[in-house]
Formats: sequence, C-alpha cells, structure tokens
Amino acid sequence: MSQQSSDPTIYDGLMFVSLGAVIVGIVFLILALDGYGWSAG
Amino acid sequence: MNNIVSKILIVANLVFSLCFMCFAGAVFTFQAGWRDKANKTQTQLASANDAVKQLQGDKDLLTTNFTKNLEDQKTRANNFEAKVNGLDQNLKQAIGNLANAEKERDKHLADLLVAQKEAQARITETNIARDEIKRLRDQNNEAITVRRGLEDKSLGLEGEIAEAETREVQFLKEITHLNDLLRFNKIDPRDPIIGPVPKIIELVKGEVVESRKNASRSAEHVQISVGSDDGVFKNLKMTVYRDSNFLATIQITDVYPDKAVGLVIEETRNGTIERGDNVTTKF
Repeated sequence: MSQQSSDPTIYDGLMFVSLGAVIVGIVFLILALDGYGWSAG
Repeated sequence: MNNIVSKILIVANLVFSLCFMCFAGAVFTFQAGWRDKANKTQTQLASANDAVKQLQGDKDLLTTNFTKNLEDQKTRANNFEAKVNGLDQNLKQAIGNLANAEKERDKHLADLLVAQKEAQARITETNIARDEIKRLRDQNNEAITVRRGLEDKSLGLEGEIAEAETREVQFLKEITHLNDLLRFNKIDPRDPIIGPVPKIIELVKGEVVESRKNASRSAEHVQISVGSDDGVFKNLKMTVYRDSNFLATIQITDVYPDKAVGLVIEETRNGTIERGDNVTTKF
C-alpha cells in the first residue's frame, strides 16, 4: 500500500489533458446550442 | 497504472477527447453559416410551399377546367360518335343503295344493249322499207304517168268514138238516102258493080307553095298546100288558076298528109305558074 503515494506519471497528465479537452468541447456545444435558444426543434 | 491496457485506454481517451473538442469547435465555428443556410433554405421552402400551394390551386382550377372540358369533350365525343354511328349506318345504307343502283345500272345497260341492237335492226328494216317505199313511189309515179297517158288516150278514143257515132249516123242517113235514090231510079242496090268505081272528088282548095322545073325544062312539078288529110289522092287532077284565069291542069304524083306534089300537064298550060296561085279540084 505504500506504493499509492508514488509520483504522478505522464499518463496522469494525459488524463487531465483529456478532461480539459472534454470541458472545452462541452463549452463549444453549449455556445452552439445557445445560438438556437436551447431548442432542439 | 503499470498495466499496459490502462495506458492504452488513457491514450485512447485522450485521442477521443481531443477529437470531441475539435468537432465541438468545428460545430461552434460553422453553425452560424449552417443556420443562415437553413434559414435561407427554410425561406425557400416556404416560398416553394407557397408556389406549390398556388400551383396546386392552379392545378385544381385547371383540373376543374380540364374535367369540365373533358366532360364537354366526352359529351361532344358521344354526340359525334352517335353522329358517326348514324353516318356509318347511312353510309352502309348508301353502300347498299349504291350496290342496288349498280345492279339496276347493269341491268339497264344490258337492256340498253339489247335495245340498241333492236334499234339497229329497226333502223336497217326502216332503211329497207324506205328503199321499198321509194321504189313503190317510183312505180306509183310511173303508174300515174301511164294512167294519165291511158286517160288521155281514152279521152281521145272516146272523142273518136263520139265522132264515129256521129259519122255513122250521117252515113246511115246517106245510105238511106242513096237506097231511096236507087229505088227512085229503079236500080237494085244489091246488083253487083262491074268495072272500076271512080273516087269521089271533093271540093278542095289550096295554094301553090312552090313550082320547079326539071333540068331539061321539059316538065314542071308544083307543090301545093293541101294533102291526103284534105281529100287529095294520087292521080287526082286539079286546076291551077289565078284570079279566075285558068293556068294549067296538074296531076298529083306524090301525096303527103299536109301537102302534095303534082306534075303540070303541058297540053293544058295556059300561063306561068307562080307561088301563091290557087289550086282546086272543081274550077
């Protein structure tokens, strides 16, 4: 269990990059839907 | 995290996240153009729908008109069909009539040919009859001419008969007178006549037409204007005189119906005989 306090690796960084990309994408989509007034029809 | 599978999934998660971000960015970037295009398309669609509605109305109107026209045309077609049927029937009847007429025509043509032959025969007969009529007419004319000649001859003969009857009556009277005269002189009329009987010399008077002497001037012939029709006969002696002067006695040598020629008896000559001197049987 002593192994759980190990240093973050590159993969942890990639995970955060992925999170950031998803957030940015969601923001883009929200902005796009705002142009239609949040109406799907 | 040492698991290789986990690493691969992390990388894949990263790739897909980036792709999601890129697609979301692209949508955010181009959605305005798409919306304008969609709006424009919507507007075009609305106008197209309006046009479609107008066209639909026009189509309905045209359909109505076409339907009405179609009904009218159907009615007219039915009428025309009825007329065509009537005309067809009339045509059939006319064809039948034409066939009958052709039969009648053929029959009449045949009759006409027969009639022409008969007419030709009649013409030939008529020509023959006309020639016969002409011949009979000529014969009739000739017969009429002969009949007229015979009638003339009959009239002449009737005249001669009447004259002969008159002369017969006169002769009977003369015979009766002569018989009476013979009985008065005591002569039997039935006694035979012995010797020549001198001819009866009637009183004949004429003129000298021409006198001519022969080449030796020994004899003279005299042509007188009376002949046998006047009672002159051959060897008759006639006296030539001029103004009660005796000139000569001539003896008839040639006798013609209307003239005679006499020879001058030189022993009795008492003058020169000239044209115009008188001559008579009883001086």
